[in-house]
Amino acid sequence: MSAPPALQVRALSVAYDRDLAVHEVDLSVGVGEVVALLGPSGSGKSTLLHAVAGFLAPSAGEVWLHGRRVSSPSRVDPPERRDVAVVFQNGALWPHLSAVDTVAYPLRRRRMGKARARAEAVQILDRLDVGHLARRRPAELSGGEAQRVGLARALARGASLYLFDEPTANLDTHVRALFLTELAERQRVSGTAGLYATHDAEEALGLADRIVLLRDGRVVQVGPPELVYSRPVDLWAARLTGPATYLSAPLVSVGTGTGVVDIAGERVRVRCEAGGDGPGSLLVRPGWAHLGGTLPGRLRAVWFRGPHSDHQVETPAGEVLIREPGGPRGRVGDRVGWSLERVWPLAAPGARPQPPRTTAGPD
Amino acid sequence: MAHPATGGGPAHRVVTLVVVGFAAAVVVVPLGRLVLTVVQETHGRLGAVLSTPGLGAAVVNTFVLALAVTAVAVPAGLATALALRRSDLPARRLFRVAVLLPVLVPPFVLGYSWRQAYGRAGITDTVVGAAWTGVQGSGGVFVVLVVNAVPLTYLLTAAGLAARAEPDLVRAARASGATTWIGLRTVTVPLLRPAIAAASVLVFVLTLESFAIPQVLGTPAGFKTVTTEIYTDLARSADPVSFVAAVTLALLLVASTAVVVVAADVLVGPRLRVTRVSEAPGTTPPANRSPGARWLAAALGGYLVLTVALPMLALLAAALTPAVGVPPTPANWTLDNLRAVLDTRTFDAMQRSFGLSLGAASLLAVLGGCLAVLERRRAGRALSVVVTLGLVMPGSTLAVALLISYGRWIGGTTAIILLAYLAKLWAFAHRPVSGALDRLPPDELRAARASGATALTSVRTIALPPLAPALLAGWLICFVTALHEVTMSSLLYGPGSETLAVVVLNAQELGRVGRSAAFSVVLTVAVTLPAVPLWVALRRLRTRT
Repeated sequence: MSAPPALQVRALSVAYDRDLAVHEVDLSVGVGEVVALLGPSGSGKSTLLHAVAGFLAPSAGEVWLHGRRVSSPSRVDPPERRDVAVVFQNGALWPHLSAVDTVAYPLRRRRMGKARARAEAVQILDRLDVGHLARRRPAELSGGEAQRVGLARALARGASLYLFDEPTANLDTHVRALFLTELAERQRVSGTAGLYATHDAEEALGLADRIVLLRDGRVVQVGPPELVYSRPVDLWAARLTGPATYLSAPLVSVGTGTGVVDIAGERVRVRCEAGGDGPGSLLVRPGWAHLGGTLPGRLRAVWFRGPHSDHQVETPAGEVLIREPGGPRGRVGDRVGWSLERVWPLAAPGARPQPPRTTAGPD
Repeated sequence: MAHPATGGGPAHRVVTLVVVGFAAAVVVVPLGRLVLTVVQETHGRLGAVLSTPGLGAAVVNTFVLALAVTAVAVPAGLATALALRRSDLPARRLFRVAVLLPVLVPPFVLGYSWRQAYGRAGITDTVVGAAWTGVQGSGGVFVVLVVNAVPLTYLLTAAGLAARAEPDLVRAARASGATTWIGLRTVTVPLLRPAIAAASVLVFVLTLESFAIPQVLGTPAGFKTVTTEIYTDLARSADPVSFVAAVTLALLLVASTAVVVVAADVLVGPRLRVTRVSEAPGTTPPANRSPGARWLAAALGGYLVLTVALPMLALLAAALTPAVGVPPTPANWTLDNLRAVLDTRTFDAMQRSFGLSLGAASLLAVLGGCLAVLERRRAGRALSVVVTLGLVMPGSTLAVALLISYGRWIGGTTAIILLAYLAKLWAFAHRPVSGALDRLPPDELRAARASGATALTSVRTIALPPLAPALLAGWLICFVTALHEVTMSSLLYGPGSETLAVVVLNAQELGRVGRSAAFSVVLTVAVTLPAVPLWVALRRLRTRT
């Protein structure tokens, strides 16, 4: 028998007044696994996280941590009796405590002596390269430093499940990259499990072992990052998980792993799996089409992005975004040839929404 | 901080002149005259005056009372604020309004209603045969002062909670392994320290200068405080010795108030001013009721019933009962008392009170606004200190000081009462507007200027609309407080200038229970009727902006 998962959420619902903010969500996080909760604001990410942490009482369903039930309709364990640590949005550092006292706080709650707790807190701060800030209060810390102190406090808790409530939402790109690298490293070293709420697809795809897509408090899709990226269940999921353009072209036939698309009378053989909720429109990710080829098009817009350039190409079947390494391959208005390598069939925009389905991840 | 210039032209000069003139007339000159008089009259024998039998006891009583009330009312207000913050509290909205309702009851009416509820021949005595004889005396004064102060301490700590204790900060403590209690002790209360300190100072000072409740509940039992002594001494003002005693006590009161306020401002002022408003309000947890919340609601409800609702009912019953000893049952109810008190003298007083309160509140809204704008400049700050001095100066002191300064010309007229209201309440009108101006991001005015608005237009179109609730709030506080006011008007009134509150107080001193109760009911209704619709309007205005 395998060890119980670090976190298991069963048919969990959370109601605000009469509205359900989280609707019968099932979710599990394995030991050592990092799962990202990806959804726009208001999709219920934070609420779900807060129910797992014990900040609020669910109206239905159960939460299990390492095979121990911590929340059921009849009994809700308080946060301090759950084996979880939380990294908050904006840090949530206490204005009246210095960095070292903040990090010592969880240690003190485990009845560690003051001197020892402080010494250990300084060690943790040192490990995160912010030991020199130990005496400072939150008002004297930058956003990135505050977030590191917040992470240090969570580490001091020594929990086996870490909850991240959009910790990078208010950091600029540079600080954010540093923080995420740090986080990945900690996660690798300590081998603990993590549940990471974010609205940023790139962040979720980059750090998680599995992604859970949330919409209006419901799970829309669960799967490893590549799967969620290349085979989103519907148009909404496709837009949420990365840059997406659509061709409105008939998919003439679908075989095993390949299909034939008709673009302005020209039949193109492409990589294509059966699935999605289509066909009606064809999802094309930036790397799935290339410049150079026989298909006709015109450059609508070009963005040089440094390592690569994005080209918005107007085609008889709609606009596609093509990403090529290096500099721009033409100027706005130029006629270009292009080729299509891969598509993913989805229902056409405006089509009747399909009931949400979940794709099983490798458990 | 660089605020956009709001014009330094002739208009600005006129405003400055008016504000400075008023501040000098209502605060600086009277206080100066007071000090001068004490120095001249006592011939340096301050100690001798204070050692007059009775005075020493009054001074000790006052300070012990102020300490005790602060020690109880501040934790009670904090507990109320914490309880009302719980989203799972049943009937939370109702409670939020109910805990503030005592503000509408004039303090001496509250004191009198306690006598009718729990005193001898009160409602508990008549119904269940249980009376608390101590309601008249130090015990009653203490308890009713606490009840009277709790709404204030609740408001201040609740504001502190809203501004500083973001939900995530407490959640972070819980997620670090703290229990509810430890989270409260290590995070919530330390964050509230500035608010708690401010509330303590305010309650201490207000208790020092409280007059109505000690007068109604303490004086009949021989329990003296500094303010009731001033009142008694001035009533015998033909006697020069008691006049000197009154003036000396008034100065003592202002000196001790100043010491407390200045010390508090130095110690906690800087921290109060950096209080930041929470940017990211946390999500409110869902309404799952826990049994604890129900107990809490029951306790809160019980407290409000015992301290406010029952006394007010007792007052109403006494007003409807023809004489003492007649059981307050519906069969015996009569409107005789109400009819008797609603004579032309009462109506005159009522008219005068409304006129005075309306005039004072409206003048104060203008003065408060002017000061808030002037304060943006360095010279204005000294002015706001002077105005705060007017607020913390005990009402008795202020009245005595005004009498000494202007009594010769306008003593016993409504004009001197109006001056007293302006001096006492200016800070009330000024603070909300000043706070709202502080919260106005300077970029908003710059954006208006950059969009082509003149300085004046930008203030009118951008700064004024969000200030409207603050202006109205200031107006409302001044209006209600002026209607209640009895400390100063009872010392300043003359024939033909009694306010309604003074008429009621005098009736109580005559000791006719039914009449006094009827008067108290009339006064409370007179305060409540205009205040409630205004309060509702204010809330609506606030939610809109």
